[in-house]
Amino acid sequence: MENAWLIPLFPLLSFLFLLLFGKKLKEASAYVGILLTLASLVYSVIVLVGRLTNDTYKAEADWLQIGNLQLTVGFEVNQLNALMLVIVSLVSFLVHTYSKGYMHGDERFPVFYAYLGLFTFAMLGLVLSPNLLQTYIFWELVGVGSFLLIGFYFHKDSAKAAAKKAFIMTRIGDVGLLIGMILLFWQTGSFEYDEIFASVQAGEVSGTMITLTSILIFVGAVGKSGQFPLHTWLPDAMEGPTPVSALIHAATMVAAGVYLVATMFPVFAASETAMATVAIVGAVTAIFAATIGLTQTDIKRVLAYSTVSQLGYMMLALGAAGYVAGVFHLMTHAFFKALLFLAAGSVIHAVHTQDIEKMGGLWKRLKFTAPLFLIGTLAISGVPLLSGFFSKDEILIAAWANGNYVLFWLAVIAAFFTAFYMFRLFFMVFTGKPRSEYKNVHESPASMTGPMVVLGILAVISGYVNTPWFGTFLGDWLVEGNEALGHGHIEGPAWIMIVATLVSLAGIYLAYLMYMKRSLAQDWFTSRAPTVYSIVNNKYFIDEIYQSTIVYATKAVSLFLRFIELFLVEGLVKSVTGIVQGLGKLGAKLQNGQVQAYGTVAFVGLAVLMLIFALTGGYL
Amino acid sequence: MNSYYLSLLVFSPLLGIVLLALMPKSNEKGLKMLGVLATLPATILALLAYFSYLGGKDLASFSEQVNWMRFSDFSAIHANLFTVKYELGIDGFSLLMIVLTSVLATLAAIASLHIKNEWKGYYMLFLLLEIGMLGVFTAQNLILFFIFFEITLIPMFFLIGKWGYFNKEKAAYSFLIYNGLGSAILLIVIMVLFAKTGTTNIETLKVLVNGGEGQTLAAMSESLKMGLFIALLIAFGVKLPIFPLHSWMLRVHVEAPPSIVMLHSGILLKIGAFGLIRFGMGIFPEQFETLAVLIAILGVINLLYGAFLAFIQTDFKMVLAYSSISHMGIVLIGLGASNEAGVQGAIFQVVSHGLISALLFFLVSVLYERVQTTQMNELGGFAKSMPIASGFLLAGAMASLGLPGMSGFVSEFMAFLGLFKEMPILAAIGALGIIMTAVYLLRAVLSITYGQANREYAGIRDLRSFEWAPVLVLIGLIILIGVYPAVLSQPLENIVLGIGG
Amino acid sequence: MNGVPISAFLALALILFCIGLYGALTKRNTIIVLISIELMLNAVNINLVTFSKFGMVPSITGQIFTVFVIAVAAAEVAVGIAILLSLYRNRRTVNTDEMNTLKN
Repeated sequence: MENAWLIPLFPLLSFLFLLLFGKKLKEASAYVGILLTLASLVYSVIVLVGRLTNDTYKAEADWLQIGNLQLTVGFEVNQLNALMLVIVSLVSFLVHTYSKGYMHGDERFPVFYAYLGLFTFAMLGLVLSPNLLQTYIFWELVGVGSFLLIGFYFHKDSAKAAAKKAFIMTRIGDVGLLIGMILLFWQTGSFEYDEIFASVQAGEVSGTMITLTSILIFVGAVGKSGQFPLHTWLPDAMEGPTPVSALIHAATMVAAGVYLVATMFPVFAASETAMATVAIVGAVTAIFAATIGLTQTDIKRVLAYSTVSQLGYMMLALGAAGYVAGVFHLMTHAFFKALLFLAAGSVIHAVHTQDIEKMGGLWKRLKFTAPLFLIGTLAISGVPLLSGFFSKDEILIAAWANGNYVLFWLAVIAAFFTAFYMFRLFFMVFTGKPRSEYKNVHESPASMTGPMVVLGILAVISGYVNTPWFGTFLGDWLVEGNEALGHGHIEGPAWIMIVATLVSLAGIYLAYLMYMKRSLAQDWFTSRAPTVYSIVNNKYFIDEIYQSTIVYATKAVSLFLRFIELFLVEGLVKSVTGIVQGLGKLGAKLQNGQVQAYGTVAFVGLAVLMLIFALTGGYL
Repeated sequence: MNSYYLSLLVFSPLLGIVLLALMPKSNEKGLKMLGVLATLPATILALLAYFSYLGGKDLASFSEQVNWMRFSDFSAIHANLFTVKYELGIDGFSLLMIVLTSVLATLAAIASLHIKNEWKGYYMLFLLLEIGMLGVFTAQNLILFFIFFEITLIPMFFLIGKWGYFNKEKAAYSFLIYNGLGSAILLIVIMVLFAKTGTTNIETLKVLVNGGEGQTLAAMSESLKMGLFIALLIAFGVKLPIFPLHSWMLRVHVEAPPSIVMLHSGILLKIGAFGLIRFGMGIFPEQFETLAVLIAILGVINLLYGAFLAFIQTDFKMVLAYSSISHMGIVLIGLGASNEAGVQGAIFQVVSHGLISALLFFLVSVLYERVQTTQMNELGGFAKSMPIASGFLLAGAMASLGLPGMSGFVSEFMAFLGLFKEMPILAAIGALGIIMTAVYLLRAVLSITYGQANREYAGIRDLRSFEWAPVLVLIGLIILIGVYPAVLSQPLENIVLGIGG
Repeated sequence: MNGVPISAFLALALILFCIGLYGALTKRNTIIVLISIELMLNAVNINLVTFSKFGMVPSITGQIFTVFVIAVAAAEVAVGIAILLSLYRNRRTVNTDEMNTLKN
C-alpha cells in the first residue's frame, strides 16, 4: 500500500509514451495502453486486498509554501478509495481492451489511447487524493480528459459543441467546488480531509458555514455527475466514441460527483439542509432524466439519460444518509452501465447507426452482444438476483428510513420508468423485424466481446457483496472505524423489496406489451397527451431555456461592455486627444505669421513672468 | 561587494548590438543568427544566478554600486544626500523576473525569425529593448529604474511602428502617448520623493517614507503619501493595464509583430505589476492597505471586463489581448488581498502569464506565418492539417484558463485563496471570471482547431525545426511550475513573509 | 538740476517705451512701426543717460552707450527703409497685415 501512488503513474506513462511514439506504433499503441492499465489494475487489486486487512494508509509530501501555510500532496488508501481504485482501473482496463477492436482503423488511434491514458491517470489520481486541493486538481484533469475524448471526432461540429459544452458546464460546477473548498480552508485551516472532518466534528465551524460550503461543494458534484440543472452536457457527451461513453460518462468520471459527496460525507452529514438538498436534487434528477429517457430514440442518449437518472439515485441515497447504499450503487452501476455502453457500442459497430428506430431483430445476428445487453438491462431494471436489484433496494430502504416519503415514491416511479425505457430499448433493438437494410452485420471481435463478458459476470454477481440475505459485507467494511458514515446496513420494511420488484416487473411488462407483443399501441400515450410528449421529447426545453437566458445574457453583458468600451473608454481617449488637439489649434492660431502678433505674445508672456516673479519674490 | 555580474548580465546584449552594426544589411541568415545568439549570454547568466541562488548563494552578493551623480554638495549633512548612484541588485522576485525576461527574450528572438524585412534594425532594437527590460528589474534606485523604463519605450515604439501590421503607426503612437503619460506621472513621483528625502534608493525609501530613522529632509504628510501612491497606481496602471487605461494595449497586441507581443505581453506588462509590488507595496504599505479594497475591486472589474469582451471578439489576437487584461485582473486581485497567499499568487500570475501569453502569441505567429489571418471565422479544422501546433495551442489555452498541473492554476488559485480570506463576496463575483475564461478561450481555440476547415490550406506544414524550441521550453516551464511550484515559491519566501499576513 | 528726481526720468522713459511698444504692436503701417521702434530705442537711451547720472556708480559709460544706440538705430532705420522699399516694390503695400510670409 505504501506504493499505491504508482497506480496512477502507469496510465500517465502510457499517455506520455503514446504522445511521443504513438505515430510510429500505430495500432500497436493499444498494447502499451492495455498493459499499463493492466499493471494499474493488478496493483489496485493488491491494494484493495491489502486494505481489507490493514488500516488506512496516508502519505504526504510538501507541495507549495505560501508564507506560513504549507500545502501538501500525497495519497490515501481508505475503504472507499481502495474500492474506487479497483472499479476505475478495472473498467479502464476493459475499455482499453475493447477499444482495440472498436477503434480499429481510425487514423488517430494512438491519440485515442493517449487520451484514455491521460483520463485514467487523472481519475486514479482523483481517487487517491487525501485532500480537497488535490481532489480539485485531478477533478479538473478528468474534465480535460473527458473534453478531449468527447471532441475526439474534432471535425464534426456537433462533437466540438459537445466538448465545449461539457467542459463549460462542468466548470460552472467546479467553480462552486473551488469556492466551497477555499471557504472551508479558511474555516478549518486545512485542505486535508481528516483535518476538515475533525474540525467540523469538533464544532469549530459554524452551522451556516457548513451548510454553505457543503452546498457549494455539492454544486461541483452536480456539474460533474450531470445532476439537474447542470445535466445537459452529459447526453451531448455521447458524441464521443462509445468506449469513452462507457468509461467516462457511465462508470467513472460522472460518478466522481457521487464519490466527492461520499468522501465529504461527514461534512454533509453535519448539515441537515445540505443533506436535504442533495437528496432532493438526486430524486428530482432521477425522475426527471428517466422521463426524458422514455422518449429518446438514440441508443446512446437513452443510456446517457439513464446514467443521469441512476446518478440521481446515488445522490438521493447519500442525501438520505445512505452512505453505503450510494457507494454500493455506484459500484454496481459502474459495471452494468459500462456493460450496456460497450454492448451498445458493439451494436453500433455492427449496424453503423445509433437510431433505434432503424434497428430491430438483432437478437439472432449478435449472438454474444444480445444476451449481454439483456443482462445489463435486467440489472439496471432492478430484476431480482442481479446486482442492480440489491443496490437499488438499499437506496429505497435508505430513503424510506430517512423519512423522505415523497422522495421515496419519486424513486419508485423512477425505477418503473427505468425498467420500461430500458426494455423498450432492448425490444426495439433486438426483437421484431429489422427496420432498415443492414449490410454485413457481424459479431464484434473477441477484444470487444471479452470485456463485455467480464462486465456481464460482474453485473450479475457484484450485488452479492452486500445483500440482506447473505450478509452486508461491503457495507460493514465501508463504514468500519468511522461512525460519521452511518451504519453498514439500514433495516427497512420487507415490503419495499417487493414493491421494487413489482414495479420493475410492471415496467418490463408494459414495454413487452408495447414493443414486443405490440398489443398496446406505441402511441397510446403520445396521441393522448401530445403536449406532454413534446415537452419530454424535447428534454423539457432545458437547452433552449439556457440558450435564451444564460447564453443570451452573457452575450448581452458582453455587448453592453463593448458599448462601454467603444463609447466610454474610447470616448475618454478621444476627448483627451480632442482637448490636446484643441489646445494645439489654439496655439497654431497665434502663429499667424504676423510679427506684431508674435511680439504681443512675447510681451504678454514676459509681463506674466515678471508678475509671477514679483508676486512670489523669486521663489517657487 | 562589487561583482559586476549584474552589469554584465544587463548590458550583455550590447555586444550583439555592436556586432550587428558591423554586419552588412542584406545578410539575412547571419543577422538572424547573431540576433538570436546575442540574447544567449543574458539567459545563461540569469540561469546561473538562479541556480547559484538555489545552491545557497546570497542574493545580496550580486549587488553593485558606483557613484554616479551628485546634486550640490550636502556631504556635510549626510554623505549620500542628493546623490544618485549606479546601483544594481536583485531580490527573489527580480531574480525570477530576470530569468523570465532573458528566457523569453531568447525565445522571442527565435520567434523573430518570422520577420520578413530589415532584420538588422529589428534585432538591434530588439536587443536594446532587452537591455531596458533587464535593467528595470535590477535597478536599485528609482532614477535608474526610470531610465531603464524609458529605454524600453523607444525601441518598442519603433518595433511596433515599423514591423507591425496595418494600423501599426496608430498603435505605436498610442503606445508611446499612454506610456509617456504614465512615465511622466512616475517621474513626478520620483522627483517628489527625491526632493523630500534626498535619496531614490528603494531600500532607503522604504525605511524613510514610513517614518524610520534617517535623513528625511521634509516630513511627508499622510495626504501627500496617499497622493503619491495614487499617482504610482495610475503610472503603473497604464502599464499593467488597469481598466479604463487599457485601450493602447489592445492596439499593440493586435498590430505589433507577434514576436514583440510575446515580450510585450510577457514582460512589459509585468513591469506594471512589478512596480506596484516593489514600489507601491514596498514604499507605501499603509496606503496600499487603505486602498486594498479598491485594488481588489479594480482587479475583479479587469477580470470580468476582459473576459466578457474577449467572448465576443472575432480576431484571435483580440481575444488574447482581452485575455491579458483579464489575467492582469488576477494580479490585482492577489495584490488587493494583500496577504501572503494573495501576493504570492499575484507574483506567480506575473510569471505564469508571461510564459502562457508568450506561448500563445508564438503560436499566433506560427499560424499567421502560414495563413496570413487570425480572424476566427476564416479559420477552422487546424487539428487536421497541423495537429502538433493545434495540440500546443489547446495546451496553451488550457494553461491560460487555469487547468491544474499548469502554472495558471497555481497562481489563480492562490490569488483567490488570498482574496476569499479578506473579501469573500467580491471573490465570489470574481470567480465568475474563471467560468468566463473557459468560455471565451474554448470558443476561440476550438473555432481555430476543431470543426471543418473553411478553405483548403494546401501545403500547410506543422511546426518546423526552429519553431519547436520556444514551444517546448514554454510548455515545459508552464508544466514545471504547475506541478512543482516550489521553483517559484522558494525565491519568494522572504518577500512574501515580509508582507503582513 | 537737483530738483528733478530720478523717478521723473524713468517715468518719461517708461511712457515713451509704452507708446513705442503700443505703436509697434498695433499699427498697420510699417513706417509707423519703424518710428515706434525708434521711440522705444529713445526710451532706452533716456534710461541709459539717467542711470549714468544717478546710478550706483555714476560714469560716462551710459552716455557712450547712448551714442552707440543712436548710431545703431540710424543704421537700422536705413536698412529697415531699404527692406521696406523693396517690399513695396514687390507687393505694392507696406501694410503689416499682409506680411505673413513667416507662417508659410
